Amino acid sequence: MLTYSLKRLAQLFVTVLGVVTLVFFTMRMIPGDPISAMAGDNLSGAALDQMRTQMGLNESLLMQYLTYLGSLAVLDFGNTVTTKLPIIQLILDALPVTVSIAVGTIILTVLISIPLGTLAAYMAHKGHKTLDNAITGVAMVLDLMPSFWTSLVCLLIFSLALGWFPASGTVTIDDPVQLMRRIALPVLVLSMAQIATMARITRTSVLEVLSEDYVRTARSMGWSELRVLFRHALKNAALPIVTVVGLSFGNLLNGTVIVEFIFTLPGIGNLLVGGINSRDYQMVQTLILFYALIFVIINFATDLVYRVFDPRVQF
Amino acid sequence: MTQEMITLPARRWSDLGTLRQSGLWRLLGNSRIQLAIAILGPILFLTIFRSMLPLPGPLQTNLQAMTQPPSLGHLFGTDRMGRDILSRTLAGVQISMFVGFAVALLALVVGLVMGTLSGFFGGVIDRIMMAITDIFLAFPSLLLAIGLVSVLGTGMIPVVLAISLSDVPRFIRLQRSMVLSLRNRAYIDAARTVKASQVWLMTRHIIPNTIAPLLVAASIAAANAILVEAGLSFLGLGIMPPEPSLGNLIRDGQSYLEQAWWISTLPGVVILMIAIGLHFLSDGIRQVLDPRSRK
Repeated sequence: MLTYSLKRLAQLFVTVLGVVTLVFFTMRMIPGDPISAMAGDNLSGAALDQMRTQMGLNESLLMQYLTYLGSLAVLDFGNTVTTKLPIIQLILDALPVTVSIAVGTIILTVLISIPLGTLAAYMAHKGHKTLDNAITGVAMVLDLMPSFWTSLVCLLIFSLALGWFPASGTVTIDDPVQLMRRIALPVLVLSMAQIATMARITRTSVLEVLSEDYVRTARSMGWSELRVLFRHALKNAALPIVTVVGLSFGNLLNGTVIVEFIFTLPGIGNLLVGGINSRDYQMVQTLILFYALIFVIINFATDLVYRVFDPRVQF
Repeated sequence: MTQEMITLPARRWSDLGTLRQSGLWRLLGNSRIQLAIAILGPILFLTIFRSMLPLPGPLQTNLQAMTQPPSLGHLFGTDRMGRDILSRTLAGVQISMFVGFAVALLALVVGLVMGTLSGFFGGVIDRIMMAITDIFLAFPSLLLAIGLVSVLGTGMIPVVLAISLSDVPRFIRLQRSMVLSLRNRAYIDAARTVKASQVWLMTRHIIPNTIAPLLVAASIAAANAILVEAGLSFLGLGIMPPEPSLGNLIRDGQSYLEQAWWISTLPGVVILMIAIGLHFLSDGIRQVLDPRSRK
């Protein structure tokens, strides 16, 4: 187990280094260089040159790369171009909002999709096709709805028509009630897409387990159906479900960018879109890196969890 | 019963032959594909022949008919400049279809070639290829596309490239894993013993057996590409106005949600229908081409 973890950790390190390298060189592919792109036509040649020297852009590419790696190692991501604020500070300020949305979505998704998927599997197992088909069909449509469109429809119905949730207003982590009210709709929207995937996986893996011998044994021992379903079947079907929760995290990150933009929530997704619109490449580079790191680490953790809890997996 | 058991392996051997002869009929006979055609057909038809429809052009403004709700004259209503939303939506569908098709084709071809080489030859090529795909798979797909678009710029070609780059590694992985499992089959060994060349083995014995899953993956990739393009354009990073795409149409209506609900919601319904259609299509192709799921 330990050797495996270390091996995976080494692999993870190589991937992260690759990601950093890719992001660095891609950003250097911008026609011209970041400085002229950022400054537009407003600065003279000499001023541009001074800025280049300041940012080390006159050095060789390899030196720039090494300097970049060095600054990453001490978590120095530089400052934003327009406001000159340290980027890491902006990210840390925005992170709680994004994390609240992500965590809220995972909780809501698990609470709804696992009972729903289990129910669908049970119905399919018992031969009641109609309810199973209905759940599977609704899950498919939810899965395919583009989240930005769903957001607007929810905004239209729940905020504008019914007035249940505020569509705008400041959000701070210090005011949890306001935060909850503001992230309720985004969480609902993101959950819709996640619920579909999760319910489908739950259905498949529970259905598989329901025809196992130990489930029959549990039934023959006279346990109630509910107990058999949740204690025996779901527990053994849980592993693929946990894996899918982990792997669908990438989709969740994609989704947070969209909902933060629509619901004007000050999370890191909004920083990203803002960074692109103001051509702040330093910011974009850092954020893309940041997202990739979160994604890679979650995948790594999922893989380890899977191996810890499934004794059948060989190392 | 016994007859079926005899014909099944025979059908497998000549799978490609039957595909050529009756493949189209089998595809058309599948209920999922019929459903897909019923959904996608009318949308495609209207999109292709939209210039012949009695509709104003997608960019044509009409100040006499600003922000009108859906009516018989304007089925999807008009926006704040009096442009017909249905006409703009159809123009957007054309772009979406192009993006979906281009991304699926690009990912399919590149994935097929690189994945086959990687899986067939193994060794250093394989290891380098896997390291590279690992790096690309470390990004959530929309975020990779956002990052690339910020570098490549906005517009059709950058969007297609940006979306493909997140799909290609998945196709390489898929193709590679299939090639790996086929590489050591007995029938490949048999072909080797009669001195079949490497190219012959790959093109005649391996690739034909991997096409079906790749096609299924391609139709899913097309649906996904359409959604990602819409997402990018919605964020203002994809196809730029005034050129209408489904994403920027929805973005357009976002600020007028309260006064004109139809600008954003109706194009979204069309995206959803296209996505559902492509989903059924991929399901149908899978059912027809995969002998195991055949009943």
